[in-house]
Amino acid sequence: MLAYIQNIIVLFSINAILALTLNFIMGYAGIFSLAHAIFFGVGAYTAAYMALNVTDSLLICMLAAMVVSALLSVVLALPALRVRGEYFVAASLGLQIIGVTIFSEWKSVTGGLGGMIGIPPPVLFGYTFSSTGQFVGLSLAVLLGVLVILALLVRGSFGRSLMAIRDSESAAQAYGKYVNAVKTLSVAVSAGLAALAGGLYAFYMSFVNVEAFTLNMSILLMAMVIIGGTGTLLGPIVGAAIVMALPAALTYLPFIPSSELGTIQQIIYGLAMVILMMFRPGGLVGGRGKEKSA
Amino acid sequence: MLYLQLLINGIQTGAMYALIAAGFSLIFGMTRVFHAAHGATFTLAGFVFYECYSLLQWGLLPALLAAAIASGLFGVLLNRWVYVVIQRHEGSFFTVFAASFGAAIVVENLVAIVFGKGLVTVSSDWSRSVEMIPGLFVAPMALVAVVVAVVCFAVLHYVFTHTNLGVALRALGENPTLVDVYGLNQKTLAKYAFLIGSVLVVPAAVLTAMTSGISASMGHHIMMISIAATIVGGVGSLRGAAMAGLLFGLAENLCLAFVQPQWSEAVTFVILFLFIVFRPGGFYGRAIVS
Amino acid sequence: MKKLLRALAISQMLVAAPALAEDIKIGAAFPMSGANAEYGEIFSSGVNLAVDHVNADKRLNGKLEVVYEDSQALPTQGVIAANKLINVEKSPYILSAFTGVSKAIAPLGQRNQVVMINGGGVGPDLAQLGPYFWNVIPLVNLEVATMVPFLVKDKGLKRVALVYVDDPLGQSAREVLDKELKAAGGELVKSFSIPATAQQFSGVAAQIRDAKPDAVYIASYGNQQVQLAKQLRDNGVTQPLASYSAFSIPSLLKLPEAQGSYFTSQQVNLDSSDPRTQRMVSDYRAKYGKDPSMYAINYYNAVLLLADLAEALQKEGKPVTGANLLEKRKNTPTFDFVGAKVSFEDDGTVKAPVQINQIADGTTKLVKSGQ
Repeated sequence: MLAYIQNIIVLFSINAILALTLNFIMGYAGIFSLAHAIFFGVGAYTAAYMALNVTDSLLICMLAAMVVSALLSVVLALPALRVRGEYFVAASLGLQIIGVTIFSEWKSVTGGLGGMIGIPPPVLFGYTFSSTGQFVGLSLAVLLGVLVILALLVRGSFGRSLMAIRDSESAAQAYGKYVNAVKTLSVAVSAGLAALAGGLYAFYMSFVNVEAFTLNMSILLMAMVIIGGTGTLLGPIVGAAIVMALPAALTYLPFIPSSELGTIQQIIYGLAMVILMMFRPGGLVGGRGKEKSA
Repeated sequence: MLYLQLLINGIQTGAMYALIAAGFSLIFGMTRVFHAAHGATFTLAGFVFYECYSLLQWGLLPALLAAAIASGLFGVLLNRWVYVVIQRHEGSFFTVFAASFGAAIVVENLVAIVFGKGLVTVSSDWSRSVEMIPGLFVAPMALVAVVVAVVCFAVLHYVFTHTNLGVALRALGENPTLVDVYGLNQKTLAKYAFLIGSVLVVPAAVLTAMTSGISASMGHHIMMISIAATIVGGVGSLRGAAMAGLLFGLAENLCLAFVQPQWSEAVTFVILFLFIVFRPGGFYGRAIVS
Repeated sequence: MKKLLRALAISQMLVAAPALAEDIKIGAAFPMSGANAEYGEIFSSGVNLAVDHVNADKRLNGKLEVVYEDSQALPTQGVIAANKLINVEKSPYILSAFTGVSKAIAPLGQRNQVVMINGGGVGPDLAQLGPYFWNVIPLVNLEVATMVPFLVKDKGLKRVALVYVDDPLGQSAREVLDKELKAAGGELVKSFSIPATAQQFSGVAAQIRDAKPDAVYIASYGNQQVQLAKQLRDNGVTQPLASYSAFSIPSLLKLPEAQGSYFTSQQVNLDSSDPRTQRMVSDYRAKYGKDPSMYAINYYNAVLLLADLAEALQKEGKPVTGANLLEKRKNTPTFDFVGAKVSFEDDGTVKAPVQINQIADGTTKLVKSGQ
């Protein structure tokens, strides 16, 4: 029983990190991304590749994952952000699609559709993380770390610049904020930290394949952020918990045929998104207002 | 011969994409609402047609009418009940997009519950390919698709240049505040934009149902093409979106001669990226650099 | 004194009795929701029938029970499902399905010494998942290697074109086709890889026509095969189609465009006089009103395999744990599966004869029996 709960905690931490990092650009910077699952995937594949071929040191694998993911996001953001918001949506959608194709085809690096198995457990200063209990500690520590970093960024001048840009780009520019640099940096931070979740995932499952990084996953992450609440730090965590608990909760409703559980779940997310946006755009935690100083 | 075959396939697909993209571009260009549920409109139209024509065995015309009513109603009601409410108190891009996306998810899954998640096709003799010259297979449906697309665009062009409503809609797209000054009602015009844009998907949905088939989750792909074509064509230009749609259809099919089929979807987005980097204004639009 | 002795005897019985009358809970991580829920239903129909039979025969001390968890055919969900089965239900034997799920949960089985058994996927990567991962059906390389001589020698179809999904199964199909066709005097003229999510094949059809093969081999699965078969025919590909056991799903068997196609499968003659086969087929027909599909039979066999091993272990007084099941399997030379006698290789795969079927009148017809 304990091992079962530990498993849930690890997966929850991974989802929470992803939701937090997505919220950083969606809620605070007002940048839409439908490609967050790809950065998750890039982190996972990079960490896995490093662990299988170079070293099983936790620090090096995670660092590599963060750097690759951040660089990729910058390549996406630089051209797209300088034009207008809708362009980034389209570009991110495109990245999501191409990303899945590349994950499935680049056999030498990602293992293609078959994925990579047998990823070794990571080692930190001589301490090997192999049991579920150890992963609970690791993932909670990473989650805390991400929370702290994001909190510092958001409450500092970087965060204020971001929110200024979100609320009115031209005003922010008039104030002398380097709009493009700030936006691109925020995307890089978001992608880099999301890669941490990817590394955790790869090491915990010892197996990565493209099925975890599809458009459905990006949509799920969006649902977590929107339902929990954008523009707050607690919101995405709440959102992640709700979205993860929903499938299990639905099994207790006897009148739903099990083959329709997945569709009913998605309908609930969709409805929640519509209704929340109409009456409570800040999400469950955020409330009516979208502006929060966090 | 292979190239000719792929070219013909490309024109058929491109004609469909042009219609769909034009609908989205119309709505987005005129009302500035990022109607992410446009893909859901397509899915709805296709399945309503399938239900009426194949399952309930109504005639072709009644089924078409039903599909048109369903999609038109969906667009207009979504606007009235959801978008307008949001725009009243806040109306930021994010909020509208998220609500639209949520609506699309709901529709996609409702369709999946009723019709299942697999592909359904409306069987018709016209979708069976005929060997016109050795090595070239064309289905009569392909010709129908192109003719229908041309007719629709001709009608649209007429509406936009020769009717009051059309001119008013173009004005709405260019300068909403001036429209108010002229005494026209923005909200009513927006309603018409949604109506026309949504009904425009019906021919494409019906033809797709009869050729390659429709499935509940098609909406995503449709959305991607619509957004990409709107950007590549230039925001605010219907002609641009249509041309971009045709370009994407051609590219998707012609690239099969050079690369493995996995990459044909990616080709669409490579084109999109190139435009974003080098010519963000697209074919006809003016890029608003912020 | 006598009272004490009697009390001791009774308490000893009370302690010993539960251990003897232990119920066995096997787990199943199947897609019970989502796009692949249909497969989950097919698999569980075979499983449930087997559980009924085992309990009806009272072969085990105690009841055999199966607990279903929803994997949604996705690796992450599969891990959650397997975790629940291992840690909460304490299952020593878990039925798995879908290659992605199997690969994700295999490490769990390894770590916890729990047997995981696959009855659906046939990709060669399923043979590399460790000693605690077993497969009850022959993998695709055996299937393709059986189809090739049939096509070339029996039917004279020497030039074959291949349409495949670019995953380990498809890649294996391509390698084996290439090698075996050359050896048999034929040729793999062209191969076209398609994305797993593709639904539009007019371009592929055009290229196949261009290549002018004698036959077309399809390595795909699920709904995609149905679309592929239909669109190939719609676009002028008239050559015979061939594939592996994935063709046995009802939606493909009923497809008018697929009639006449050949596919391989594990040897099973539904009309055989072997008692296990007869019982399974007649009871399945009675309960569900149709013939059991290959998948239902595979999972029926998987449960019966457990019953055979557990029965033997219980006779020796050993507890039914994953480690003991593995050892017992290694020491048993053959098993009586529905359809054929099979034996296990060291890598946990099964050596079984493969037969060739043809689709006719919406159902399958045996064309060539396996050796």
